Amino acid sequence: MKNYLPMALPCCIWKRSDHLASRSLVFPILFLIIIFSSTAGYAQTRAVRGLVRDENGAGLQGASILVKGLSKGVNSGADGRFIIELPGNTDSLIITNIGYETQKVAVQAGSTPEIWMKKGINTLNDVVVIGYGSQRKRDVTGSVATIDLSATKDVPVANPTRLLVGQVPGVVAKQNTGRPGGEFNVTIRGLGSLGAGSQPLYVVDGFPIGNSIGQNLNPNDIENISILKDAVSTAIYGARGSNGVVLITTKNAKLGQSSLNVVSNYGVQNIPSGRRVKMLNGPDFAQFRKDIFMDKIRYFEGREPSVDEVPLDFRYPEQTKRTTNWFESILHNNAPFQNHNITLAQGNGNFHSLLSAGYQRQEGILRGTSFDNYSVRANIDGKANNFITVGLKVNGSFSTNHLANGTEGRGALVGSTLIMDPRDPIYNDDGSFHSYIGGHDGSFGFANPVQSLKEVKISQQNGQLLSNGFVEISFLRNFKFKTAASAFLNYATYKQFIPSTIAGQNAPPPRDAFESDTTAIVRNYSVDQLLTYSNNFGEHRVNVLAGYTAQNELTRGLKATGSQYPNDLTPFLGSAALKTAGSSEYEWSTTAFFGRINYAYGEKYLLSGTFRREGSSRFGEKVRYGNFPAFSAGWRVLNESFMPKIQWLTDLKLRGSWGITGNNNIGNYRSLAFMSSNNYVLGNNFAPGEVVGSLANPLLGWERSKQVDIGIDIAAFQDKLSFTAEYYDKITSDMLLPIQIPSISGFTSYLANVGKVKNTGVEFAARYKTRVNSVGLWANANVSINRNKILEIRGTNDQILNGEFYSGYNISRVGRPIGMLYGYKVLGIFNTQDQIDKAPKQDGAIPGVYQYLDYDKSGTISYDTKDMVEIGNPWPKFTYGFTVGGDYRNFDFSVLLNGAYGYDIYRNIESSTMNMDGVFNVLEASKQRWRSASNPGNGKYATTNTWKWERESNTRYVYSGSHMWVKNVSVGYTLAKKNVVFKSLRLYASADNLFLITKYPGANPDVDNRGGINPGNDEEAYPLTRTLTFGANFTF
Amino acid sequence: MKSIIKLSLLLLVLLPVACKKSYLEKSDPTGINTDLFYKDQKQVDQAVNGAYGTLQGIAGNQWLFNELPTDNTTIDFNPGDRGQAPRLESFEYFTWNSGTPNINDMYIAHYNAIYNVNNTLLRMQKAVLADSLRPGYEGELKFMRAYLYFELVQYFGDVILITKPLDLPADAWTYLRESQDKVYTQIINDLKDAAAGLPAQYPAAGKGRATKGAALSLLGKVYLTRKQYPECVAALDQVLTLGYNLVTDYADAFDPAKKNGPESVFEIQYKGEDETGEWSSFIYTFAPRLSKGAVTGWPQSNPGGWNIPTNDLIAAYEAGDKRKAAAVGLDFKSPITGDVVPYIKKYAHTHATYGRTDDNWPVLRYADVLLMLAEAINEQGAPTGEAYGYLNSVRNRAGLGDVSGLTQQSFRDTIAHERRVELAFENWRWFDLKRTMTPAQLTAFLNNYAAKEKASPTVSRQGVPYSNTDYIFQDFKYVYPLPSAEILLNTKLTQNKDY
Repeated sequence: MKNYLPMALPCCIWKRSDHLASRSLVFPILFLIIIFSSTAGYAQTRAVRGLVRDENGAGLQGASILVKGLSKGVNSGADGRFIIELPGNTDSLIITNIGYETQKVAVQAGSTPEIWMKKGINTLNDVVVIGYGSQRKRDVTGSVATIDLSATKDVPVANPTRLLVGQVPGVVAKQNTGRPGGEFNVTIRGLGSLGAGSQPLYVVDGFPIGNSIGQNLNPNDIENISILKDAVSTAIYGARGSNGVVLITTKNAKLGQSSLNVVSNYGVQNIPSGRRVKMLNGPDFAQFRKDIFMDKIRYFEGREPSVDEVPLDFRYPEQTKRTTNWFESILHNNAPFQNHNITLAQGNGNFHSLLSAGYQRQEGILRGTSFDNYSVRANIDGKANNFITVGLKVNGSFSTNHLANGTEGRGALVGSTLIMDPRDPIYNDDGSFHSYIGGHDGSFGFANPVQSLKEVKISQQNGQLLSNGFVEISFLRNFKFKTAASAFLNYATYKQFIPSTIAGQNAPPPRDAFESDTTAIVRNYSVDQLLTYSNNFGEHRVNVLAGYTAQNELTRGLKATGSQYPNDLTPFLGSAALKTAGSSEYEWSTTAFFGRINYAYGEKYLLSGTFRREGSSRFGEKVRYGNFPAFSAGWRVLNESFMPKIQWLTDLKLRGSWGITGNNNIGNYRSLAFMSSNNYVLGNNFAPGEVVGSLANPLLGWERSKQVDIGIDIAAFQDKLSFTAEYYDKITSDMLLPIQIPSISGFTSYLANVGKVKNTGVEFAARYKTRVNSVGLWANANVSINRNKILEIRGTNDQILNGEFYSGYNISRVGRPIGMLYGYKVLGIFNTQDQIDKAPKQDGAIPGVYQYLDYDKSGTISYDTKDMVEIGNPWPKFTYGFTVGGDYRNFDFSVLLNGAYGYDIYRNIESSTMNMDGVFNVLEASKQRWRSASNPGNGKYATTNTWKWERESNTRYVYSGSHMWVKNVSVGYTLAKKNVVFKSLRLYASADNLFLITKYPGANPDVDNRGGINPGNDEEAYPLTRTLTFGANFTF
Repeated sequence: MKSIIKLSLLLLVLLPVACKKSYLEKSDPTGINTDLFYKDQKQVDQAVNGAYGTLQGIAGNQWLFNELPTDNTTIDFNPGDRGQAPRLESFEYFTWNSGTPNINDMYIAHYNAIYNVNNTLLRMQKAVLADSLRPGYEGELKFMRAYLYFELVQYFGDVILITKPLDLPADAWTYLRESQDKVYTQIINDLKDAAAGLPAQYPAAGKGRATKGAALSLLGKVYLTRKQYPECVAALDQVLTLGYNLVTDYADAFDPAKKNGPESVFEIQYKGEDETGEWSSFIYTFAPRLSKGAVTGWPQSNPGGWNIPTNDLIAAYEAGDKRKAAAVGLDFKSPITGDVVPYIKKYAHTHATYGRTDDNWPVLRYADVLLMLAEAINEQGAPTGEAYGYLNSVRNRAGLGDVSGLTQQSFRDTIAHERRVELAFENWRWFDLKRTMTPAQLTAFLNNYAAKEKASPTVSRQGVPYSNTDYIFQDFKYVYPLPSAEILLNTKLTQNKDY
């Protein structure tokens, strides 16, 4: 050993630091001195003094330096320097730091290695953020996934939830609507609740802000996103943990690093022609109306009508003067998207700080709609002295939404553009709006959508202040006490003014102008006290956390409406002849004690236990407190002495967890019943009256989830490849569910703890990263398979049926998945009266309507739900995400694919767009409809002669939703060479929502108009755009 | 920096504050917990008012079940909106079924109102309340309960009878439909109690509450429906002594400026020009669809075009009947077809605020009492002078001459006719038809009317043919179906035959 070590080591060091050599000649001399002195001074244990540097050469604080084969280690100091004792027979150090690739360095006593850390993708040695703390990834025994934000750095992001798309298994982030700035719909490990919400809990810098992240958090400020999925990770959030937790950490300066960073991107949004629904044009619609008229006479009167009988409006379709494509008319093509950020980071000295300012603006693809957000942030932390650390984060933001007057749903603006009369113009000949579309010769009357977008004013503003502060005191070497306070203030205003010029549905203008004004102020604070103890005793590592938290939220609102305006010019309440006003206030509180013990033995055995006892004001008096325990264990098999050394395998860990979490997402005061005003008139004067508003349930308590999670983590090829597979089984019981009750009770439902739902699933995630010479390549793939099943709803009546006879049902039944699509099964189209006579009785059926399945074999197709069956499964067999990226010299690229396979969508908009009675415009495909026994069309579309037996909830509207998005493609070019003006410059281009590969006929297979337990209903929503952006990122 | 440390020390001090038990006791500051209500006279009074308030919603939709399916009214057909075909229009075309949402809504509204009556009756027993006030409040509540059950039993036949709030939610599944006899027994007992407990009249501030006269008039109507004619006459004879009179001008009975007049026995109260939401808006439902402001007086209106008087009814008014002009408007022409679209004028009064009318809804009028009395007397044998007197007083007020020399049957027919025109659009037609006809007779009668209406619709359908299922009345439609939702929920509940 002694013979070759002194020779080998300097080589190694020289290799690592060769680019340094030119800077200084001091080092080689220094090395020689140190080498000689150390060999003389130390025999058995020898000290190594080293320096850890980041890519820019600055000292890197907090890097972990371990002697290979031992659990003992030290951290680098503020300047990046460290001293470590080197026991005999050891020859290398392992240096790790969050966000950097792990380095292995051969050393010998007395050497002074300099380690240059390279930025890397997350690897096993990273530290991951967990509830109320952080943990080395290799020690994690729960299911915690970290979003790789480097993969989405070029993506045009208007809402932070976009960052969750396709990145980790078990997390489904769907863009249900294209509303500017809109939040995605996020679910973690399936829908866990039938009655309470199923959204995850969002925690920003340790502060649980609720089940929505809102619109104001600037995505550019986010450093890290961790997703907690299993019980041992989420139980520390107790009554809010059962739908998973999204932990967001905002940026701060890296120690020793100071920079000014400016990012600016700009782009345009459009709707690809392939994602526009094709409707009949004006002449075709007139022809359609004429056909309907004549076909009816042919069928009902059994004669050939003469042309003179046809109403003049559509007697000569070819003479139709105008045709308007209403959908096209509402689009704001090439709608700009822009995002600008400036970030100043100062990482030198005891305190480091980050100041950032951002501006985002997304104009909507619908004319006149937009989202913009101004955000400023100051994050400061550092050491007051050797034992006190303090930090403060302050984020102020102000966002504005300009909204359209209802975009989601069948009768709303987007859906209505498909079905309104295409023979009407947008403008009259004099240039004024043609304000009433349809409403003549039997077509449905709508407001002019272009006029609505222009003249209806709806704006929503959110002013927000989010702040956290903490003081942490270290004492008795191993203890730390942290007290933290967080506050969230939100001031929201909403104003809507509908002028008298806007038509209603089947109601020509003028209307009574209407204004609605709402303001709400939210004050949410939490105070946390955390005591941690961590120590290593030889092979034992222990980390203990005990904490107490209290959180309170108060919302106060004021709402006023005005009507009867003398004109449309002063849209303010003061001008309204009639006004109404109301105020509201609600509040909730929660307090909890919690604790966690993490224990590791010899880098092999890992144990973790957490417990939380929580009280919530939302629950009945007798069941106000709940206990949430969880345990987990891990085994790093590879470190066992009996394991043969497998060269390529870096780590192999088996882990499992069990625990109980809760869900209190039910709204406030739901266990109580209140009187509600129901006034009367006596003596021709107002007489105040009160009635009971709902049934109380003092036993209303927690919804509980028991979750088991088993996982395996593998790292191989020097961490180039990591792979995780997990199985989970989550049973949610005592669900907070409105139980339908016979209305003789005075009510139709009351809230109780009943029912059980099970979600079982497997998740796979793999990451690979390699570099061959100047070509770097990385990939990240994940697949999630989730099955949900209802185990119990309530005693006697085991189903929940939501929806309507003419617009699709969702049924939740015991033994089946939540919210299956439900309706008649179409067997075909009746071609002749003879077929109708021979089939089970369908009262009022005529040739050309659907023949339905007589499910209950009663001989009659009853005109209610008795013959309905499950007609589709809205839950994908699996969902997946795949990101691939690479770089070559100064170029880099990344591609994100994501999708879902094997599920159904009920395209309910077709009950309007294929409503054959001529009231609405219809799909181009309607030309393939049934016309007569000899001209039955393509067998899919019913006759125009009746409305009965063709518009009911049935299989005709069910389509496969399987799809793959080429969600994003980005390419970039980095000018790394330092320059007098900037340290680096990066230019990039990004295409979001680039392609959609699907057979689904609607524009967006992620659409979910009803949501929750009524999934898979497509009634049209704000359309999604393809966004092309270009950006530049300067670092000064 | 020191300030941050000070702040954190402050937070440490705040910690115990958050530990207080009350931190987790939150109640809605905007509402009164039901457990804390019904404690004193003021609260009992408000609970009774709340029960009256539930009648407003019920009265506002009754035309759908009581006028639209009959020969009195039809619809202003909208070829551009077929969405109401399975809903409101189904009552015109006899195509309702157990899934028709309006039936479900009506059923729920009735039992919700009954719940509030039952709950108040129970909870007021422990209220601090002078004993002298109890019979009055109880009488009002029992009158309302009788009125609600009387409607239910006529709509559905056998119905669930519930007279106290449930102890446990699960008990809701133990209640099944009771025979009509049992329901009527409850109605009659409630009305007897009400008649005994209620005052004949209230001071001005109490106008609108149920009176002894209201209870007795309703009791008379119940007996008439049950064909218990002597009991009917006995009840109604008492009403004669309570000081009611026919107003001189028929139109005054519906004039908001003359609310609760001498002819009014019971009406649902509304108040226009009021910021508290107690206004009515019947005319906005009833005015022709394209009439904008022509009937309502407000050009921003888009009226519903529902409950349109039929040509059949308009023709039923005798020449010189003053009631026709007061009840039916014939001055609006459709801008599309140029045809007159008739509308109900009884509830069309000028009002100072768009959308907020001051019209009350008449439930029981003295004219109704007189006609019932005449009918009950005639049914016991033959028309007597007394019976003629009541009938002719109603006719004379309408500007029509006396009738005389009728047989029992022709007197019966005359009464039926007189009731139709006198009480048109006051939601009695369906019950009157049912009271005076067997299911088979009603079927023949309505199909005969439907054939006429179909051949020559009151309002043009603009070329849209009828559906092949429209206007087919069948015996089983004599009662409405129980809502399918209720049967799905409680499978032990039986549906009416053939639904």
